Amino acid sequence: MSETTGSGGAAGGTLGAVSPGARAAAKISSFVSKGMNGQIIALAIVLAIFAVGTNGLSLSIRNLQTILSLAGIPLVICLGIHQVVIIGAMDLSTEGVISLCAVLAGFLIKNPFNTNNMGLWVIPVALAIGGLAGLANGLINTKIRMPSFIASLGLGWVAQGFSVIAGKGNAVKMLDIRFQNFTNGELFGIPNTILIALALFAILFVVQHFTKLGTHMYAIGGDEALARQAGIKVDRVKIIVFVITGCIYALAAILLVARLASSNPRTGWNQMFPAMTAVAVGGVSLSGGVGGALNAVFGTLIVTALNNGMVLMKISPYIQNAVNGIVLIVAVALTIDRKKIGIIK
Amino acid sequence: MNETILELKGISKSFPGVAALRNVDLRVDRNEILGLVGENGAGKSTLMKVMIGFHRADEGKYILRGQEMSLSGPEEAIRVGVGMVFQEGSMIPNLSVMDNLFLANERGFVRWPLLDRKRMAEAAREQLEAVGLGSLDPRTLMRDLPASRKQMIEIARLLWLSSHYGAENPILILDEPTTVLQASETEMLFSILGELKKKASIVFISHRLEEVVLHSDRIVVLKDGIVVADAPQAKAEVRAIEMLMVGHELAAEHYRESMQGSPSGEVVLSVRDLAMTGKFEGFSLDLHGGEIVGLVGLLGSGKEEVCRCLGGSESPSAGKISIRGRETRFNSPKDAIAAGIGVIPIDRRNEGLATSLDVANNINLLVLARMRRGLFLSPALERKSALKWIGEVMIKTPSPQTACSTLSGGNQQKVVIAKWLAAEAGILVLDHPTRGIDVGAKDEIYRRIRELAAAGLSIIIMCDTLEEDIGLSDRIVIMKDGRMVRDISCAKGAKPTPVDVISYVV
Repeated sequence: MSETTGSGGAAGGTLGAVSPGARAAAKISSFVSKGMNGQIIALAIVLAIFAVGTNGLSLSIRNLQTILSLAGIPLVICLGIHQVVIIGAMDLSTEGVISLCAVLAGFLIKNPFNTNNMGLWVIPVALAIGGLAGLANGLINTKIRMPSFIASLGLGWVAQGFSVIAGKGNAVKMLDIRFQNFTNGELFGIPNTILIALALFAILFVVQHFTKLGTHMYAIGGDEALARQAGIKVDRVKIIVFVITGCIYALAAILLVARLASSNPRTGWNQMFPAMTAVAVGGVSLSGGVGGALNAVFGTLIVTALNNGMVLMKISPYIQNAVNGIVLIVAVALTIDRKKIGIIK
Repeated sequence: MNETILELKGISKSFPGVAALRNVDLRVDRNEILGLVGENGAGKSTLMKVMIGFHRADEGKYILRGQEMSLSGPEEAIRVGVGMVFQEGSMIPNLSVMDNLFLANERGFVRWPLLDRKRMAEAAREQLEAVGLGSLDPRTLMRDLPASRKQMIEIARLLWLSSHYGAENPILILDEPTTVLQASETEMLFSILGELKKKASIVFISHRLEEVVLHSDRIVVLKDGIVVADAPQAKAEVRAIEMLMVGHELAAEHYRESMQGSPSGEVVLSVRDLAMTGKFEGFSLDLHGGEIVGLVGLLGSGKEEVCRCLGGSESPSAGKISIRGRETRFNSPKDAIAAGIGVIPIDRRNEGLATSLDVANNINLLVLARMRRGLFLSPALERKSALKWIGEVMIKTPSPQTACSTLSGGNQQKVVIAKWLAAEAGILVLDHPTRGIDVGAKDEIYRRIRELAAAGLSIIIMCDTLEEDIGLSDRIVIMKDGRMVRDISCAKGAKPTPVDVISYVV
């Protein structure tokens, strides 16, 4: 396998008589290596440091499973945010939208407060709610022409407020144990949450690289004015991306509710920071147009391994917070394209 | 063979304060290369933008393939087969060549829900071959390509779009395509254009006359928004076109020549062998007290970079700058300001002025230290200084508290001048000081420049037209391709004509 990858890689862009397998391998390796070396090295360094620091405990099969199961939900959220970052926008409504979707879902699944029992049908309903929040973000950004980080910050607080009003602030216990069984389950030793996240990754990867929508997303992230000039319906693409992101938040909300077997207006809290850090650490440039779903995966793995390692080494949570903050700033500093921004406000 | 594809009749277009095009007639024939020449500000760009529907003409007819029409914009223009390659480029850097080629028109490659990348790559190769880039991998990212290739890919996109929309014999407009090219690349471009004209018409704008005369089938000369010549290549001669471009004689008093003084003997600024890698080299200049030196050259001649080095916004790679005999180094514009060099940039709205601040704040911006009483700024001192300079430079403003954004271009320019006078700059670099200012206000700027020189300030100036350079300056220094080629005296009453000078410039 490694041999064919090597020869395919060496053949580069020429149209030589390379076997189909080798060509596919070269194609995959070209996606992986496209600016991803830094992330692979960073992941290796993080794993190595903690392997030494914990006397190899961090690399045990058991702990690697833990990392994967911890990474599932952050990866879903990260995949949501990174879509918006690719088009050069920002979405800070994450936590509010997740909380709202969680509380509403909590009241629709079998619960002690009412007689609702929607079962799996709660999933499309929640996705619709998340999608509506995304639609609002997109419309405020494109039609009222408001910077997306402000539009989404405001909308996130609106959603957060509604989540309290909708449930009168109560925590809602989930009585439908199918959800819980599923999220805590695993397939061949791989946690189900990470499998869902990886399925989402696969879908977004294909969308980004093999569809019109994906091409247009990168064009807008690269240069919105030129994209418009070329005839791309910029507003429509941006709104679609915000809607997809909103739906992904709803998916994250359901996974969170299922894992905790309960929902409350604080379900979304503290979910955005790790995901945002993962976006930046993965190499998705905040200036737009650079990086994709694969970057989100690596970013999430790095951030999760880092936090898991710090826990194993019994580092104070306050220092953990500080480390995460520094990682975010350094990662953004390394990936942002300052030429494109001109004046930093 | 001589069938007319596009005909513009009696096109006029005005912008506030300027008539950019006046009753222009232009036709583009099938299978020809039409060269369009004229000085900066002659109206070439406006005319091109009217052709692609970016500007709507105030008057006149637009007749394409015998049909009168009115374009809604560049998007519609390309549908009917009229496209333009802009100087600044319109390709998206983070996308691949093939994505750029077919951007926003991928429909034909969609096998729902996916894009057929393989078929896109094949189609892209075909398009690239037509512009001589057959060996380029269409998956290459745009940002990894040199400017010359980006340009060819833009041409390929326009050709593909027009055939995609079924427009036959499209018109390709190239705005100064050769400024970004090396000599060998220029040759390449023209051989490809020669090939392309078998199925298209090409309109090509350039400053470089030899090029135009050599490669065009027909040449149109614009001057002050009017077509002054339209001649087939066989009859075109560089010398004659130069005359047409710059006009005949200099209206001396136009530039307040009677106020022109004679510079003092003191060397205020001395530059020796200044160089910036890849931009210019061997630039030496002695600027005397009260002297106005015009820096003349085309885009890319290196004159802009020389000025940026003098203003401290860029660092030279070699050479010395001395001010009043003392050698200095500028690491930032702040150092240049401290040494008494003020720069009045071409883009005064963005670079020269804080337009959201009021007049007084702008004038005092560089001398805030002097406005202090104790720890705090003194409003009284600020007001006094502002009023003094408003009077001195005659800025027409309702009050010192008026926001600069509401002033006219001429008055904004005066605010910038006042700022530097308040900062006691001894040397001013004026970058196109009259750009975008209407005729009446221009005269006042000329007078102001003369007065500044008479008061002993030394001035380096870059003007919109050669005529203006010669008219205003005591001396002009001509740069071409990064080198100084001539230093010509323009003493009062003994000025050369633009025609004498232009052959050194182009």
